[in-house]
Amino acid sequence: MSVRTPQERFIVPIGPQHPALKEPGHFEFTVDGEVVTGASVRLGYAHRGIEKATEGRNWIQNLYLLERVCGICSHIHASAYALGVESLAGVTVPPRAQAIRQLVAELERIHSHLLWLGVAAHESGFETLFMYTWRDRERVMDLLEAISGNRVNYSANVLGGVKFDISAEQADAILAGLEFLEERTDHYLEVIRTDALFVRRTSGIGVMTRRQAEVLGAVGPTARASGVPRDIRVEAPYMAYRDFPVVIVMDTAGDLKARVEVRIRELFECYRMIRVMLRDLPPGELSVRMPRRVPAGETVSRVEAPRGELFYFIKGNGTDQPERIKVRTPSICNMDSVIKLAVGHQLADMPMILAGIDPCFSCNDRSLVVRRSQSAAELWSWEALRLHGIEAYR
Amino acid sequence: MNTDEALELAEKLVKEWTVDRATPQPGRLDLTLAKPDDLLPAVAALRVQRLGYLSAITGIDLGLEANALEALYHFCSGEAVVTLRIRLPREGAAVPSLCEMIPSAGPFERELREMFGITVVDLPDPGKLYLPDDWPDGQFPLRKDCDPQVPTTATGEGGR
Repeated sequence: MSVRTPQERFIVPIGPQHPALKEPGHFEFTVDGEVVTGASVRLGYAHRGIEKATEGRNWIQNLYLLERVCGICSHIHASAYALGVESLAGVTVPPRAQAIRQLVAELERIHSHLLWLGVAAHESGFETLFMYTWRDRERVMDLLEAISGNRVNYSANVLGGVKFDISAEQADAILAGLEFLEERTDHYLEVIRTDALFVRRTSGIGVMTRRQAEVLGAVGPTARASGVPRDIRVEAPYMAYRDFPVVIVMDTAGDLKARVEVRIRELFECYRMIRVMLRDLPPGELSVRMPRRVPAGETVSRVEAPRGELFYFIKGNGTDQPERIKVRTPSICNMDSVIKLAVGHQLADMPMILAGIDPCFSCNDRSLVVRRSQSAAELWSWEALRLHGIEAYR
Repeated sequence: MNTDEALELAEKLVKEWTVDRATPQPGRLDLTLAKPDDLLPAVAALRVQRLGYLSAITGIDLGLEANALEALYHFCSGEAVVTLRIRLPREGAAVPSLCEMIPSAGPFERELREMFGITVVDLPDPGKLYLPDDWPDGQFPLRKDCDPQVPTTATGEGGR
């Protein structure tokens, strides 16, 4: 066996397909023994060309396209887009519609946080917790299905309002569901605080100080776990957050445990707010008429997705199609910050640290085009795909 | 500091390099900088006062007729959004990298570079972030003249 010189670098490539995460991302960790000395990320494996695609579709078609940027936080993408287009068109959405948007967004946050808790448990080797959280998450998925008809892409929005109302029976079902979920969440908070194995895998791991979180541009629960008071729902209220405010949930430890705690404590805040909303849901219309053409202009729309600040820039040119839509998702901000923090940690902690930001690769990879294959026959044009879709589901 | 005060302060700090200003919406301020070299001092001025964080960088292709690109740097502080706008020629567009001052600008700048063909000078990691390794050079997908239906590949194969 030859002796390794200090100048040689040993690189451990992980991914794009790997057992640590269920989504494709390629990481290269430079290691010295078990300690990470450098890290880089390569994305694009789930790139679908959505930003470009928006430029060839009308305002209404884009609502459906953008809801499909992400399968976990679909509603918040459609909402950010709808809020932006409505502000460009100068349309005021009725208060009841805004409240229902917010209600769906918070139910979505519950399902997203529970899903993430399961993933984090899975990465730490705590399969039982993973199974239980995902079982309980079904309850909120059922509620979303009951009110919208869909488990994933709820399609709650139209430009100018929402599609469905919340009936008294649905409200009762939601309240009963929240009761169950709150009890379970109480239990999970106790588990993550007391389970010896989970505490050892999270406490003091992946520490990001407040200063680092600010400099590295972390957003959402990742930033809040480091004591950065950054929550768009509080800083720049949209939808009905002025009437139904949330209390910002923070921690100062900045480690993985803090990121878990912040998300679980945010769940209680979701339950509390949904109860208030169901009690005081404003009466009125569900939507207003939207013009087909939207005036030329530019708008910025910022919302708090489950993973952090979601930023939409929308430019209209006076026609029925947008000139440019820019989507900046929270995962890309957090991904970059966590990659820079990897240095000095054990390689074995990397899956947990990566999962700790709740990375969403579909969100990261939204914007581009067609993967070229070796054989031209495997390359599908948009038209061919569309026809295939129509035939397959006929 | 409330929203109006933040916008007022931002305007004052960047005034030296601003050639045009607009307030497209409540809470927003859009400042056009004279030239790409003004970006670093303007951003430094905002940073010194800790005014906002870099939330996103947007590239826009204004089309073949205007023969120009734009790079928009959005800084957010509470409800205030300050946008620094730079107009660039389609050929030889270049902006300085903000990574020295704002490390989190890296992925935004890499995206700007590969999607719009805007050179980012002194970008620490200029590798591809989103596009495939074999993506042909000189093809910038978010430019208006790039047609995603017919990807021009290195071997000249077109779409079906």
